[in-house]
Amino acid sequence: MTNAHDPIDTIAELLAHALELEHESAARYEQLADSMEVHHNVTTAEQFRHLATLSHEHAATVEERAVGIELPRIPPWEYKWSCPGSPETDCLDHEPHYLMTRVEALHLALHNERRGYDFYAQVASGSNSPEVRALAARMAAEEADHIAMLRGWLADAEDLPPRQNDLDPPNVPA
Amino acid sequence: MPISKAPHEPIAIAFSGSGGSGAVTAGSILLAAAARAGHYGLMMRSAGPQIRGGESAALVRFGPRPIGCIGDRFDLLVGLDWGNHGRFRDEIPLGADSLILADPAAGPVPEPIVAEGVEIRQVPFLDLAGSVADGHMNMVGVGAAGALAGLPLDALVAAAGTALAGKGEAVVSAAQACIRLGHQIQDDAPPSRVGHGCGRWDLSGNEAAGLGALRGGVRFVAAYPITPASEMLEWLAPRLERLGGALLQAEDELASINMIIGSSFGGVPSLTATSGPGLSLMMEGVGLAIASETPVVVVNVQRGGPSTGIPTKSEQADLDLALYGCHGDAPHLVLAALGIADCVLTTAWAVRLAEHLQTAAIVLSDQAIGQSRAIIDPSPPFESPLRRIIPNGPEPDYQRYALTASGISPMRIPGCPGPSYTADGLEHDAAATPSSLAADHHCQLAKRHDKLARFDYGAHWAEIDGGGPGDAGADAVGPSLCLICWGSAHGAVGEAAERLRDRGLAVKVVALRLIAPLQRDALRAAIGAALPLVIEQNASGQLFGWLRAEGALDGDAQSIARPGPLPLRPGEIVADVLAKTRL
Amino acid sequence: MADTATPPAGRAEPPPTLKAKDYKSKVKPIWCPGCGHFGVLSALTKALAYLQIGKEAHAIISGIGCSSRLPAYIDSFGFHGLHGRALPVATGLKAARPDLTVLVVGGDGDGFSIGGNHFLHACRRNMDMTYIVMDNEVYGMTKGQASPTTQPTWSHSKLTPHGTGVRRFQPAAIALAAGASFIARGFSGDPNRLTQLLVQAIGHPGFAFVHVLSPCQTFRPEQKAWKQQVHPCQLEPTTDAAHAAALIQRDDGMATGLLYAERLPVNQPRNEPDTTIAEIEAELLP
Repeated sequence: MTNAHDPIDTIAELLAHALELEHESAARYEQLADSMEVHHNVTTAEQFRHLATLSHEHAATVEERAVGIELPRIPPWEYKWSCPGSPETDCLDHEPHYLMTRVEALHLALHNERRGYDFYAQVASGSNSPEVRALAARMAAEEADHIAMLRGWLADAEDLPPRQNDLDPPNVPA
Repeated sequence: MPISKAPHEPIAIAFSGSGGSGAVTAGSILLAAAARAGHYGLMMRSAGPQIRGGESAALVRFGPRPIGCIGDRFDLLVGLDWGNHGRFRDEIPLGADSLILADPAAGPVPEPIVAEGVEIRQVPFLDLAGSVADGHMNMVGVGAAGALAGLPLDALVAAAGTALAGKGEAVVSAAQACIRLGHQIQDDAPPSRVGHGCGRWDLSGNEAAGLGALRGGVRFVAAYPITPASEMLEWLAPRLERLGGALLQAEDELASINMIIGSSFGGVPSLTATSGPGLSLMMEGVGLAIASETPVVVVNVQRGGPSTGIPTKSEQADLDLALYGCHGDAPHLVLAALGIADCVLTTAWAVRLAEHLQTAAIVLSDQAIGQSRAIIDPSPPFESPLRRIIPNGPEPDYQRYALTASGISPMRIPGCPGPSYTADGLEHDAAATPSSLAADHHCQLAKRHDKLARFDYGAHWAEIDGGGPGDAGADAVGPSLCLICWGSAHGAVGEAAERLRDRGLAVKVVALRLIAPLQRDALRAAIGAALPLVIEQNASGQLFGWLRAEGALDGDAQSIARPGPLPLRPGEIVADVLAKTRL
Repeated sequence: MADTATPPAGRAEPPPTLKAKDYKSKVKPIWCPGCGHFGVLSALTKALAYLQIGKEAHAIISGIGCSSRLPAYIDSFGFHGLHGRALPVATGLKAARPDLTVLVVGGDGDGFSIGGNHFLHACRRNMDMTYIVMDNEVYGMTKGQASPTTQPTWSHSKLTPHGTGVRRFQPAAIALAAGASFIARGFSGDPNRLTQLLVQAIGHPGFAFVHVLSPCQTFRPEQKAWKQQVHPCQLEPTTDAAHAAALIQRDDGMATGLLYAERLPVNQPRNEPDTTIAEIEAELLP
């Protein structure tokens, strides 16, 4: 069961969630990058690898914020996400696919970042602590920046070719 | 008249009866008495398919020298009754020199027996037993047979006391009283037939193989019951526990082989035992052990085949399965015990070889060995430096399947801190990563082949007898012969060789203990210029085929092969050899 | 109950030395992007990290199939064995090495078709190990045949062009009837909840069966809908086998959570040596 409706009332807990969010995000992008490489989708692999790097950078930012603060050790199933899995990894409507294009990868990332934004926005309004609300609002704003950045990349990538067909599909019957 | 045979010749006695007449108990006690009297001995059994009350026979042979086979003919048959005795006609060969003890109360002696020209002596077993409270006629038979065979009364009485101790004082006294009654059958004091041994072992081939497994270091067994291997597992179960190991009864043979792969992967020398149908099921697992280089030992106590075959009888017909049963090129070890006593050495050696060479060893025994009991000299202690090679400390560049000069790559055990690996039946590279590349496949195939081919197996690969300058005698006639055999054929072939030498022929016996990898050069050297004859108990000449394929035999070699279920007999081998060589 | 088997959250201890990512090996999974098994791999590494089970303290055994590739993706001792035969390998390993935490993974074909017999007996035997079946209701590695958990009407396999016509294998029901002492169902698309189930399963003394719905994007693209169809088990997990049987029989196969857990005697040979071979040989004298 998700604990989505339990408020986050301490900075430490907020930062623990933020760190998990970014680590999970980075891990997911690394996994997708590896997976694209194994399936020889090189451009999309590079795109995911880049996204992973960005998530690592975001995580570093959170770690800086957390210096001197003892973060609670939260079991994976007790994070207060509103959907299964952390917002930037598993709330997917976009399914990865071995033929997915850079554009599709960016849409996936965009979706993730929106979910991340939604999480911080919800904490910013739902927390009982003014400090937490303030920090969550700042972090939501940062997510908004990420979203804008991704939108920009998407705009630049719009004329890229659509998904190709696999000339050697697996044994999928009609 | 007592049985008249020269003191050095063995005596063969059969007990037969039905419906719980106790033929097998009688045979066991006679064998134990022979041991007490200082003899070597061998006992085989035969029975009908009924679980209880069926016809059964005990076949005993004893004498002052080690007994390798059940021989050509029985000197004495004690017929407790004649229920379905026709079943035993081929298994209890009789002749004009044979003596039959028959109870008049059991009806006429069957015509086929009479037709052999035997001497028949009436002994009222039932009446005599009836004169003792709770007396049984099989014990009267023990006394009578013992007397005729020259076994001392006190040996017979003491043997019964030990064998029946678990049944209580009353049963023991009744049995001993019956033995005394039976022993009086011989009016004149019989010449006593006493050997000079003591401290010998009384055990079956299955038990001997179990002991070999323990000596080799086995401490985990997983197995599924099957005739005629179950007794090995039943013997091992409590003894493994007492040594800190364990036996797990598996749900089938597929589970058995995979369980011992798991326990061996965990670092414990492991073994299973089965018969032909079980080994067929296990072959995929044997292949996994070979490909993943996980040591395992599979003992196959062969029985009549193919398919369900003849579960209670012996045959040497699974050699092809043992050699060729894996898909792919999967070199491994195939060994065969040369008799009951040899099960101890062969099984222990197989365990150590499998551990050291990180491969699968199939040890072939058979029903004739496994379910027969023998009185043998205790096996000498098993000394061997062979062990599993396990790296000591952490090695940063550890590769499980690294290419080495010997072909053997050290095997890390789960639980050790440091590098780990995932063992795989998939072809792999040196680092154990699955690979379909040609170079990796060729390297690993060569590794798994070379580690066996390069190894020095020492002298245990065969038992070689005769062929020295003095063996044929000054008047050796004809070409020298080399009788090649494996497994339980060894006993009968050995006796046959002696008889052929008595006729003046130069005869060498080469009994292979290590059949794969074949020590071809050593075998060719042992054969020398002699005429090779390959003698085995199967229809198609499986060892003969293997030796030819491996280039160990030239065009003049001959096959003497006949299937089970009857044991090979020295007399038939002599006749076949003479016929094949036209001597 | 099973929850008590898990260590409490937020315990005051030194910071954990192993993180989930430390368990991943350098080998890149060959699974298709979008494969559910990525979620199971993630959950397993998180569970191992949560329990701080060191690399040398566990081993992962698998059979053959896409799911069975998993051991190579975790940096620890593993055995990639024969199709359907992972459970006996694990059983032999655990019997010989009670000190190791033994994990077994495989798919629905590996576990319930060719491995079905071993599944039954492993449930009965109740040795301390955790069996994770990644169920995608298809044979993926051999390119899309029906498996025992495939609906009888699914007709997209050339091998069974009219569908198998055979009713589905019911893993949870059969596990319960075969005597399993821990039965849970998870979903690869909810890896954090799956992590919790795995933590409970690994902590459970005895045979723990975790049935994971793990969609195959390539051969069963319609399984995308599982995200909407899985739902938490409505009833409380139970220690009453008859109650669990009723629950499981009514189950639509998409209920997640801990369905049944009971403390039953654990099968584990533990023998101390109290004799020598010489003493055993002495018994052979007549």
